[in-house]
Amino acid sequence: MSNLKAFPTGGLYLLLFFLYLFGPLVVMVVTAFNSSSFPRISPWECLTSDWFFKLFADETLIAGLGNSLIIGIGVVLVAVPVGLAAAIVLSQVGPHLRSVMYAVFIAPILMPGVVIGLSTLIFWDRLGTFFGAAYDSFFYNGMFLTIAGQVTFISAYSMLVFLSRLQRFDPTLTEAALDMGASQTQAFVKVLLPFMTPAILSASVLAFLASMENYNTTVFTIVAESTFTTVLAQKVRYGLDPSISAVAVIIVGVTLVGAIIFENYNRFRTHKEARAAASAIVPPIARFATNPLVIIGFVLVCVIGFVAWVGTNDSSVCEANIEQMKREYQQEQLEQQRNRTTAPASEPAAPASPPANGGGGVFAPGNLAPAQPEQEEAPASPFGNVFAPENLQGGN
Amino acid sequence: MREIGRFFSGFASRNGLPVAIYLLVAVSIWIFVLVVLPQLTMFDFSFRHNLPPPKIGGPEDVHTLEQYRYFLMGNEITGGGVNTLDIAVLFKTLVAAVFVTIIDLVICYPVAYLLAQSSQGSTKRLLVLALIVPFWVNEILRAFAFRILFGSTGVINGVGMQLGLWDAPIDFIGENVALYAGLAYAYILLMIFPLYNAIESLDRNQIEAARDMGASWAQVHRRVVIPYAKPGIASGSTMVFMLTAGALAAPQILGGPSSLWFTQIIYQWFNSGGNWPRGSAYAVILLAICIMFVLLVMRVFKVSIGEIGR
Amino acid sequence: MTKDITLDHVSVSFGDYTAVDDAHLTIAGGEFFSFLGPSGCGKTTLLRCISGFQEPSWGEVRIGGKNMAGIGPNKRPTALIFQNLALFPLMSVADNIAFPLEVRGTDRKTRRKRADELLDLIALPGQGDKKVSELSGGQKQRVAIARALAVEPDILLLDEPLSALDLKLRQHMRRELRAIQQQVGLTFIYITHDQGEALTMSDRVAVMSRGRIEQVADPRTVYDQPASGFVASFVGENNALPGKVLENSEGRLVVDIGLSAPVAVAAGPGRGRKLKPGEECHVFVRPESVSIDGSGQTNRFDATVMREEFEGQVRHLVVKSGETELRVTQVGAGNGASGPGASVTISFAPELAVPLPVGHLASA
Repeated sequence: MSNLKAFPTGGLYLLLFFLYLFGPLVVMVVTAFNSSSFPRISPWECLTSDWFFKLFADETLIAGLGNSLIIGIGVVLVAVPVGLAAAIVLSQVGPHLRSVMYAVFIAPILMPGVVIGLSTLIFWDRLGTFFGAAYDSFFYNGMFLTIAGQVTFISAYSMLVFLSRLQRFDPTLTEAALDMGASQTQAFVKVLLPFMTPAILSASVLAFLASMENYNTTVFTIVAESTFTTVLAQKVRYGLDPSISAVAVIIVGVTLVGAIIFENYNRFRTHKEARAAASAIVPPIARFATNPLVIIGFVLVCVIGFVAWVGTNDSSVCEANIEQMKREYQQEQLEQQRNRTTAPASEPAAPASPPANGGGGVFAPGNLAPAQPEQEEAPASPFGNVFAPENLQGGN
Repeated sequence: MREIGRFFSGFASRNGLPVAIYLLVAVSIWIFVLVVLPQLTMFDFSFRHNLPPPKIGGPEDVHTLEQYRYFLMGNEITGGGVNTLDIAVLFKTLVAAVFVTIIDLVICYPVAYLLAQSSQGSTKRLLVLALIVPFWVNEILRAFAFRILFGSTGVINGVGMQLGLWDAPIDFIGENVALYAGLAYAYILLMIFPLYNAIESLDRNQIEAARDMGASWAQVHRRVVIPYAKPGIASGSTMVFMLTAGALAAPQILGGPSSLWFTQIIYQWFNSGGNWPRGSAYAVILLAICIMFVLLVMRVFKVSIGEIGR
Repeated sequence: MTKDITLDHVSVSFGDYTAVDDAHLTIAGGEFFSFLGPSGCGKTTLLRCISGFQEPSWGEVRIGGKNMAGIGPNKRPTALIFQNLALFPLMSVADNIAFPLEVRGTDRKTRRKRADELLDLIALPGQGDKKVSELSGGQKQRVAIARALAVEPDILLLDEPLSALDLKLRQHMRRELRAIQQQVGLTFIYITHDQGEALTMSDRVAVMSRGRIEQVADPRTVYDQPASGFVASFVGENNALPGKVLENSEGRLVVDIGLSAPVAVAAGPGRGRKLKPGEECHVFVRPESVSIDGSGQTNRFDATVMREEFEGQVRHLVVKSGETELRVTQVGAGNGASGPGASVTISFAPELAVPLPVGHLASA
């Protein structure tokens, strides 16, 4: 790290950068545990796991997730063989044809996702009209269209994976197989495919993940149905609450846990000898702490612990208290107001008037509504009203 | 035609008939049915009137420049002349995309350089992991995170006000700061990796030689590193520009009332606007701009299309 | 049954470049036949023509009298052992060996049995379940041979199979290969740039240079009676002495090679019989044919020893007579009387000097 020593600013810059990179994620994760109905960190109301339950109870989201899974599998089944075919074809044509074909194959990646989405939609719609197909046929089916649209560019991704693996293939192996009496098909199945297996796996994983997280193309092709991402986007725009943060926690958690386990499993498999050699020098505690299996075990224990906590956490008492505090605060405010309005020469607007842009208001615990009339009714039904204005003002 | 036949029989004799059929069918269906034909259909559609389904294929279904004319000149009703609204939106989208690309370039170049030049094996893998993890999170969630951060009751306003830096909540969203920060964030990965790969393959000795000859750090970067990293810069910039210009989720979630993204207009034509041909025309315009941008970058940086595909 | 191979005026060109120029010969069934030549001489291309990976641009390849044009490698009665062996890395040793049977649809039991038989043949009994990566170079060699034998070919083609092995192993494998060939009775077509291999193992050798076949003969003939300057200089060590023919009569040439007197050289069919007086030629004299103890009767010259290289079994000397340098090889350590600086009398017999028209020589 010599450059970092020469540049303490370099190190500082890296720090700021990673802060920018991870900051939003950390914030998002933390807000999932705050019982306030708009995702925030301060003021912190109660530590709760309720949002996770709300998440699992959200039927549209679960339905969307189901669709996403089906689409993901469909995409893998189509995009991976297509990508493999494209890679093989590229490896067998002459140099001029090859660069032209490569440009054509790569093009879908460079096209905006919305263009792919809407062109797919238009094409099949026109095709359906041409064949006079019924409206519930596959020409107009959101799932089919989404698979078609996503395959268009995900095939290119999988082709890239296969190309790099294919470059390391020794062509004399196919020749040897032929020479041994294998037919070309046999040579393909028994020599080339086994070699490509690792690439087939990574391409499948890549295709699946790319499909699950796609939005731009899907939002056009999904028509009447929904996927996980489209439901999520709807929620963020129109029904914002920390259950979305809970989604983030789960995704970040799964990613992190997956990455750690994967990394340590690899380390475990490949460095047996290195660890044996190093064991003499490193103190036992450190060795224990960095042993890959131990790390995996530790991570799994944390996951189980977390799930258990989510299941058993009950923040209702805390929330009731907060409730109470808010009500009391509101009462106070009401009192103050009444005192002020009895003195006629005072401004009609409450001191806690919201800023000009109509945004949510002040950060005193218990967002007070800017509209006074609603406050007058507060004593009547404190519960519903205290929370309702927040929901309206919570987002922008 | 004979060429195609010869081409196919070459494949067949090399791979055996079953495999050759699989190869050519798979690739053909992909390219023709999924890539070329939909684009052509969209292109054709953009030259048609917006007709209700029964009238399609009928006598009124002719080619027209109506939709493109609309983009340039707007409705006769809204007072002839130039369609300042849509054109302005397109212009702002492109300018914003360029702006975001430059921000990303400026942010990521030092990081890519520091990481590429100074780390070895295991730290490198760790850093790669650290860079990738934030991007396994959905782009929707990433936009959402910025919403939380920048909202008027959000974290940044909260911290700022508590620290006494400002009194009233700043409308980051209305000022589009949130959008730009979110967009810059979204595509960092695509800018860093090409840069990182390009810089990593630079022989450290060249830098040391330049330093030895008396070059300042600014000169070293300008004359040695950046020219070498050109393909990486071209690749990263192309990807970021195209994805930003074509972004939909971030503007929908983080966009204030004054920012409208061109893709949002396209989306509207397909949904509430109910005018697919017009949407297609706008999409064609977007696509044409993207193609022109790629060609421009390739010309300016003298890189080939092969180097842009990561 | 073994079959013979005929190359009928076979030529192979890639664009402007001619890799094989009019190769025309017949290899008899059951022969151990070698193609010998430096890199780039076209021997690999020729091998690929015989095995079916390359179609000739002109001419025909016939195996057992049948024209092989258009017949792929999987349908020819040949098996090729690649230079890099091309063992399938993801399969075990036994699976590699049994692969030819597997693609023919043979059942698992028979395949295993045959693999074990072949493993015994190549002296690797019981190693069937090992991974290819666990074997040594020599062992991989043998597995490649076993796999080729499993094809039950009539003709085995070997592409420089021993080039990656060290000296002792190479010498051992030479004997092994010859033994296997005679045991199984196949036709072996062997290509190599190492003339020691070609000479020890083969029934006949074809010497190639720049796409042309210079000579086809048994090892003895190729060595003693080279048909061209290239063969003379490529096979074994040789002194190539340029000179001018002075006389040619009754089977004897008199050539001026720049020594103190012209030399007498025996002429015959294929060795300078057609050279005319005044024509330029090369006279080739093997280093071991030159004596330095003064005992020879003809072609005697005074010379000084310039350098001595001691190589264990033999001793190489460079002697200079006049302006001409000759290499001389002696068996044994010699006595001190003929070390560097010593004056010696060299001589060689006319029958052991080969006169040939001027042509290209093997590069040093």
